[in-house]
Amino acid sequence: MTVPQPTQEDLNERAAIDRSARYPVMFFFTSAAAWLLFATVMGFMSSLKLRLPGLWDECAYMSYGRLFPVHFNALVYGWAMQAGIGVMLWLMARLTRSRIAHPVAVIVAGHLWNAGVALAVVSIWFGAGRAIPLLDFPGWLWPVLGSGYALTVVWLIPMCLGRRNALFYISELYLIGAAVWFPWTFLTANLLVGEGAAPVAGAGAGAWYLSNLVYFWMAPIALAVAYYIIPKISGRAIYSYPLAQVSFWLLAFLAGWTGISRFMGGPFPAWMAAASGAASIFILLAVVATVANLLLTLKGATKLWEYSPSLRFTVIGILMLAVWSVLTALGSTYVFGRNLQFTHFVAGLDALAFYGFFSMTMFGAIYFIVPRITGSEWPSGDRIRTHFWFSTYGIITMVVVTLVGGIAQGGDLAVWDRTFSVSFTNSVAYIVGRCLAWALITWSNLVFLQQLALMFIGKGRKSAGPTLIHAEPGEVQSARAAAGIQ
Amino acid sequence: MNQENYRHESYMNSNNFWKLLGAIGFAFVLPWLFLVVLPYVSESETAPVPYGEGEEVEGGVTAYPDRNLQRHGASDYGREIYAAEGCAYCHTQVVRPTYAGADMWRIGWGGREGEQGDFARETHAGDYANEAVAPLGYQRIGQDLSNVGYRITSREEMHRHLSNPKSFDAESGMPAYLHLYRPSPVGEGFVPTPKAEALVDYLLSLKKDQPLPKAYLSGN
Repeated sequence: MTVPQPTQEDLNERAAIDRSARYPVMFFFTSAAAWLLFATVMGFMSSLKLRLPGLWDECAYMSYGRLFPVHFNALVYGWAMQAGIGVMLWLMARLTRSRIAHPVAVIVAGHLWNAGVALAVVSIWFGAGRAIPLLDFPGWLWPVLGSGYALTVVWLIPMCLGRRNALFYISELYLIGAAVWFPWTFLTANLLVGEGAAPVAGAGAGAWYLSNLVYFWMAPIALAVAYYIIPKISGRAIYSYPLAQVSFWLLAFLAGWTGISRFMGGPFPAWMAAASGAASIFILLAVVATVANLLLTLKGATKLWEYSPSLRFTVIGILMLAVWSVLTALGSTYVFGRNLQFTHFVAGLDALAFYGFFSMTMFGAIYFIVPRITGSEWPSGDRIRTHFWFSTYGIITMVVVTLVGGIAQGGDLAVWDRTFSVSFTNSVAYIVGRCLAWALITWSNLVFLQQLALMFIGKGRKSAGPTLIHAEPGEVQSARAAAGIQ
Repeated sequence: MNQENYRHESYMNSNNFWKLLGAIGFAFVLPWLFLVVLPYVSESETAPVPYGEGEEVEGGVTAYPDRNLQRHGASDYGREIYAAEGCAYCHTQVVRPTYAGADMWRIGWGGREGEQGDFARETHAGDYANEAVAPLGYQRIGQDLSNVGYRITSREEMHRHLSNPKSFDAESGMPAYLHLYRPSPVGEGFVPTPKAEALVDYLLSLKKDQPLPKAYLSGN
């Protein structure tokens, strides 16, 4: 399919948009990468504490019960959400062809968000946590995070209203959806959790919030990125636009029903977990249709995978989304869930969602966006490759050991007269695997942070050609040329 | 070579932005109401269910749930320590019904056991009436604590579980919570801080097997 080439006017307009996005978007990306490094180190430390419970046990700040929520909150609010917000701003500016009107205001809001994350992490670490996954921070803190988010995302509204294109792109639908759904779930969960009027419904709202964070914020942003980057790099139109629309609305109408199945068999009316389980299964239609649509877009141009870092990270990210959805659907049926519930499998699935699928897609977007807004190319293709493989192997290790470990642990727990501690001693080997996975991921993120810092301080490569994975830097003009696809 | 330049078909017009927002919101309203808001409202308005004629319950308890049964000393402060230390990341407080797991058969998990007979039952919403948020838990790295108040009955033993868990089970994966204790001024050993005492009160209060009134069961 031939694609019209952009005119010089288009190119100038894009450059102006990128210039306006440079400082706010880079602010979100670099602070996100710093949080990511912190969060993965904490992930390693918390896994290590599971293996060696006696380590530093006189120190209050070194217990698993505090390290794990510190890791989890820093990972999601510090890294994932900040990277997502940065991507959202740039992508929306490009799609609506409007500049970021007030970069300084966005940076101020970004500082507010970072202050909120830092306060959340410190308060959990110093023993003011509530032990509700991702709502661990004390109740007074949510307005700080909420207003930080609102003051950033509010700038998307003028972009949408001032847009000159007659049509909505599918990526725009996903971005608008994410922008609307997150504050709604965040507000609901924070208002209902911790009030004490309905403790069980509050716990249910917590589980619902976790699942909605993935399906209603991370998945939409990741898919917006995929629907943008895959056609851009492959130079092909989306395989089926109607299918993309149908799967968007399918996701929109089903995602809100998921989540309660985390507590199936818990003190809820049985229909709630059943409805959630059914939604987790039906939503596979949306996820599989979307992933198939994206892969078919890439059909015949798969050799690009060898060269383009953005494409490689994005594709592996959406494949991980598919794996996560399938495993979650399996886990929300009684057949599998009765043994897998409350085992290492749960922690592994959360790591796959909040680190694996979302972060890989965000890396794809960051490798695409940063050269455009800083006007220089990534310093080293080798380092990008290191980042990719260490991250990928880390996540695969994590998923495999927690899945197998979860089956082993759940099997031990299902035998009613087997001593409880057997389930722990049998899972020790898998906990070692969890440590190893976080160690691999930490190393990959150290490499990533170093590259991003070089770009941030303007030490990127000045060259006409992009940095590709398997080619001499600057040798070829594009991944398409390197892959021999014209 | 960009997406902006090839559109496929008209999907939705720009001036339909607010309509689009409406549709996106509508997709969300139903699950939001049915899974979150309505359960919250109905639980917060549920009054305790009184026991009927002939349903003998010891200790002058007249209705389920009885929040006083769920208190023990400083347990209201202790549950904050339980949350702050992140106990819920390794310990659940859910006894699942038999169709969803083997919890009810595991000795001591489901409730009282012994001379009075087997009182084991799954957990119900009222069992968490005295909590801020039901600490259902995240993983089962450690034992379920729904009925730990029956399994460990003495204060000293509970303190020893917190300060030296390996003395009960050499394979235990639980860390010693030594920061809740101070070295004893006289001789060896540790002295609990008020936090440790409150946490022990809370753990001793965990008994989720108050008999359910017939009216409650038929209402479910």
